[in-house]
Amino acid sequence: MKMPPFELLMPTSLEQALDLAGEFIAAGQEFDWIAGGTDLIPNYKWHLNHKPNVISLAKVAEMSELSPTHIGGMVRLHDLAESEIIHPLLKDAAKSIASVMIRRSGTVGGNLCLDTRCYWFNQSEDWRESIDWCHKCECGTDADCRVIPNQNTLCVATYQADLAPALLCLNATIHLASSNGKREMLLSDFFELDGMTRNVLQPGELVTHVTLPTESSELTGCYHKLTLRESWDFPEAGIAAAWKLDGEEISALKIASTGLESIPRVHDEEVAAVLPEWSGKESIEILSESLRKSIKPVNNTGLKPNYRRKMVKVLARRCLNQIMNE
Amino acid sequence: MTDEEEMVGYKQQPGKLPFSRPGSGGKDQFSTLQDDEKIPKSQGGKLSQPWGIHRHDELVTSTSIGNRTPLIDGRYKVTGQAKYGDDIRLSNELIGKILRSPHHFARIKSIDTSAAEALDGVVAIATGVDASNAFGVLPVTKDEHALAISLVRHVGDLVAAVAAEDESTALQALQLIDVEYEVLDSIHDMKDGLEDSENPIHDRGKYHIGEANIQKRVFQEFGEVEKMTENAQASHHSNWTFRGVNHGFTEPHATVANWDPRGRLTVYTPQQVPHYLHRSLADVLEIPMHQINVYRTFVGGGFGGKSDPFPHEMCAAILARKSGRPVRITFDREEVFFVNRGRHPSHIEMNLHADSKGRLCGVETDALIDGGAFASFGHVTTYYNGVLHTAPYEIGAFHYTGARVWTNKPASGAMRGHGAVNSRCAFEVGLDDLSDKLQVDPMTFRLANLLPPLSATITGFRITSTGMRECLEKVRQASSWDERFRKLPLGHGIGVGCGFFISGSGLPIHWDPNKFPHATVHLKIDMDGGVTIHTGAADIGQGSDTVVAQSVAEVLGLPLDMIRVRSQESDTSPVDLGSYSSRVTFMNANAAISAAMKIRQDLLDATADITGADPKKLVLGDRRIYDKRDPAVGVSYLEALHKAQEERGALVASGAYRTPPMGRAHKGAAAGLAPAYSFSAYVAEVKVDVETGQTSVINVWAAHDCGKALNPLAVEGQIIGSCHMGLGQVLSEEMVYGRSGHLLNANLLDYKIPTVHEMPKVFPIIVESNDPEGPFGAKEAGEGPLLPILPAVCNAVYDAIGVRVDELPITPDRMHRNIEKLCKSQGISDPLELETPRLKLSSLQDTLANRAEEHEKRDIARRNNDDIEPYHNGALFGFTATIPADEQSDDWKVSVIPSQDYVDNPRLAGSAWKHTERRHRGDET
Repeated sequence: MKMPPFELLMPTSLEQALDLAGEFIAAGQEFDWIAGGTDLIPNYKWHLNHKPNVISLAKVAEMSELSPTHIGGMVRLHDLAESEIIHPLLKDAAKSIASVMIRRSGTVGGNLCLDTRCYWFNQSEDWRESIDWCHKCECGTDADCRVIPNQNTLCVATYQADLAPALLCLNATIHLASSNGKREMLLSDFFELDGMTRNVLQPGELVTHVTLPTESSELTGCYHKLTLRESWDFPEAGIAAAWKLDGEEISALKIASTGLESIPRVHDEEVAAVLPEWSGKESIEILSESLRKSIKPVNNTGLKPNYRRKMVKVLARRCLNQIMNE
Repeated sequence: MTDEEEMVGYKQQPGKLPFSRPGSGGKDQFSTLQDDEKIPKSQGGKLSQPWGIHRHDELVTSTSIGNRTPLIDGRYKVTGQAKYGDDIRLSNELIGKILRSPHHFARIKSIDTSAAEALDGVVAIATGVDASNAFGVLPVTKDEHALAISLVRHVGDLVAAVAAEDESTALQALQLIDVEYEVLDSIHDMKDGLEDSENPIHDRGKYHIGEANIQKRVFQEFGEVEKMTENAQASHHSNWTFRGVNHGFTEPHATVANWDPRGRLTVYTPQQVPHYLHRSLADVLEIPMHQINVYRTFVGGGFGGKSDPFPHEMCAAILARKSGRPVRITFDREEVFFVNRGRHPSHIEMNLHADSKGRLCGVETDALIDGGAFASFGHVTTYYNGVLHTAPYEIGAFHYTGARVWTNKPASGAMRGHGAVNSRCAFEVGLDDLSDKLQVDPMTFRLANLLPPLSATITGFRITSTGMRECLEKVRQASSWDERFRKLPLGHGIGVGCGFFISGSGLPIHWDPNKFPHATVHLKIDMDGGVTIHTGAADIGQGSDTVVAQSVAEVLGLPLDMIRVRSQESDTSPVDLGSYSSRVTFMNANAAISAAMKIRQDLLDATADITGADPKKLVLGDRRIYDKRDPAVGVSYLEALHKAQEERGALVASGAYRTPPMGRAHKGAAAGLAPAYSFSAYVAEVKVDVETGQTSVINVWAAHDCGKALNPLAVEGQIIGSCHMGLGQVLSEEMVYGRSGHLLNANLLDYKIPTVHEMPKVFPIIVESNDPEGPFGAKEAGEGPLLPILPAVCNAVYDAIGVRVDELPITPDRMHRNIEKLCKSQGISDPLELETPRLKLSSLQDTLANRAEEHEKRDIARRNNDDIEPYHNGALFGFTATIPADEQSDDWKVSVIPSQDYVDNPRLAGSAWKHTERRHRGDET
């Protein structure tokens, strides 16, 4: 596959990168950020929403800091997976991503901002032309959504990144920057329910780093995901959980899901309904069933949505059973 | 210098060659005598021959055959120096790109290329009008064109081709070609292909079957068909769905075409079957064959997917002719899926019947296979789906109906295990179920129903050697079968499956086998002593160059580094039919041996001349020809060679192989005929996660009878590779077509080939049944080993959780649905409470065990006896073994035309016979 031509810029500092972005915006020109490129490059090869300019963050050194509470956007997934200082839940989630080669290139920021995926979208240009395009890459045709026809307002492509649920469970804060300044928010507020916009990033804005509250180290967690193959595959469902035990009592419990809807989600409501009267096995059953009910995958990935939904329950149960085993 | 020291460094350095002096004749300075341990007893050596003597025994020199030999082209590959299709770079080349159909089925109303032609950098554009002659791999079904003539038949069908200075320009030009289509109703469900259609995908004129999309139909009935159900004590019924799978080879198709200043065309291409491409190029380009040189590059995996002549190969030649410059076309992975030729999606109904004595009294198979848009090898595939499961078991009746239909999808074709894989899976799973119903051990059931060596199957195939029994015994032992089968806990199981495959096809595709050889090999030896082998056999990674070199080395007593193989160009190599139907080792090594025998005779005569010894007492050792009883009397290879070259110069010899006349006379009798057959038995051990439905295979004990392992390293590689490929089809690989009929996963992320994580530990076990006709006793090992893995895994899944799979691949969602169904039927909600199947043996078990024991004695007696009586399928059912059963009883049917009764009430594929061929309809078409 031949990539469309683009201009590649290699700023050496964050300030320079943001300035470049600012200039493009001022000039009305479109551009993309590129970090590890493991998501962007395949999409470009497929001519998916490609831009004439690409700003690489590869040489921006200040985004690679890694500590137990601070994870730079340019930290490689491989470094996270190999890290001895990072929260074990994050390490596990990072280890489960794709393959060693992809992890050596892919970054934390890139993984969080992973483009959503769909059978009708992640295809070559000829292929998409042959189905008269789709809403997510309509090429000026005003095309309908191919997954759920007769609605062309919302894209239902699936968010299939692994780090988000783990970070959500650890109450991470995400830090953004643009030439207009910096801002930060809870990671759960970062995502926006639409397969196209996906998150709150404005043009010219990027993810500089993620921070974790120091208390997060007191949490124990686990991540279970569903894939057809052990390597490479994007998760078809993923459940992360983190908890804190005070004696027998669960003093904190957080559950988040990925690979099922257009954004990763924290399931505080479902947890809140069960936690006050926690009774072990029975509660686990109720909670995992309520998770299954609340999550509504669509038919746009390899495995069928009704199956993935049922697996939410199994994965959740497996996560929660670990609390009992502690 | 040791081997390890030689291997240091990136590539071999000049002056650091692994042999000391040029012309010294090999890497070891001193020649050695024959190793008696490797010389058969028939020749006075110490090698025992439990399977009898062989006609090639006297050619054994203990030099090469049976040694674990790294492939002779291996270093080219591991050092990155092998040139594959896309590595061919000729100066001044143009890049070719193909415009493909966006519609499933449409009529081309017009093509306007003017804007594309006007684009700077575009040198040539071709459309259907540039080459209107049809081609196809089988002469009876030529239905492809270089570029669409008037119809496009699937999304991705070729419409126009552009040659430009660079890839970007070519791609840009494609956008500028304006094609007007009239979209036609397309067919996607193969069942619809059986019905009459307003616009059949192809028109075969008077041979067209009704107005339907049936490309080929087969009906076969043999044996006591009427009695099979009434005699049945137990019956198995199943309806299988198999999805299409693609070969998934590493190297996408890539080809370079160049017309030289003399007006000759060279096409560089990774082809499994260069000769058929050679013929097709001549047809399509309307030039004589001698004006074409087909140059086979290194092939980055074929598996059957590079054995058709391809439209893009024609396109490259056409564009090169138009532009006067070399044209290179390389596919994207998506295009590989569009050209496909993978395994047919199939619906297979399998009914098996066993009688009160535990004999297989009936096999009824109905196979509807989805051919996609073109015929390819489909004619043969339709037969193979039936006839290739008439062995290794003796059966009382065989009823087969098969049909291949055209649909508007990429064409299916030949893929490793051609046509046999799906129905074999259904059949072997059926045997497991029958054993369950008869309450007998499936191993014993199989062992008590095997055909003996030197026998004829129900449809008349000639079985020569068979190591089926030994394969089963060995995997039974290696897997601790008796201690584990039906005894493992929930979610953990083992299962057995067998295979049977042709070792070369008895009928060449393009000519009368009684007139021309299947394979020819030329040898040339000049004063340097090195042997040049000219063969047309296509090395597609399976090691055909190596096996031919080994065969010659063995006969002449030479080390492999004295052998060089020239197999790439049709200009220099004798015609060979190519690498398909697992024919290469059998036919080419046989041809090579017969050529080498001529040289050997020259060397023996020369030695006798020099030494005055009796040539009958001379033997060839490593680079030395000597008197067996007095090794001091003899000469070196070079001395003998130079003597033989006196007066005549270089020694040249030609050898050929042709299959003997075989088979019966009914229509279709030639399909599946082979000079020998391979056999295999696998036991797979699986774990099933009962909550998620995820299946993983942990261990596979894989026994394969390849006659004689000429190169055990390559045979083991084939067994392990086959396991991987079969595992893909059984666990995860499928070509998924979406709601709109489009292929949804034409890439290697979504088309799920198992990774190293999914790969079980495979224990290859080689069984050597010493085939009387095979080269040194060898048979195939390239395709047969794939067959048993599918049913072995399916049967192991049943052992683990009691689910009888009838749809592949067993993806977790499908398995989970099966588990839910099973839970429902057992009235439980938690799958962890499922009960696994257990085996309580019936009294039949002893009967079968005794029969198996008797048969074992029968088989050993037969294989060690030169003067044995014929054995025809049917003897187990009380017929006289020496004559075909149909000559003994009118109840024993041999029929290839369905009766009206059948047509009135047909099975699915059998309903193809509802239609009448146009020529028999009486209408004027």
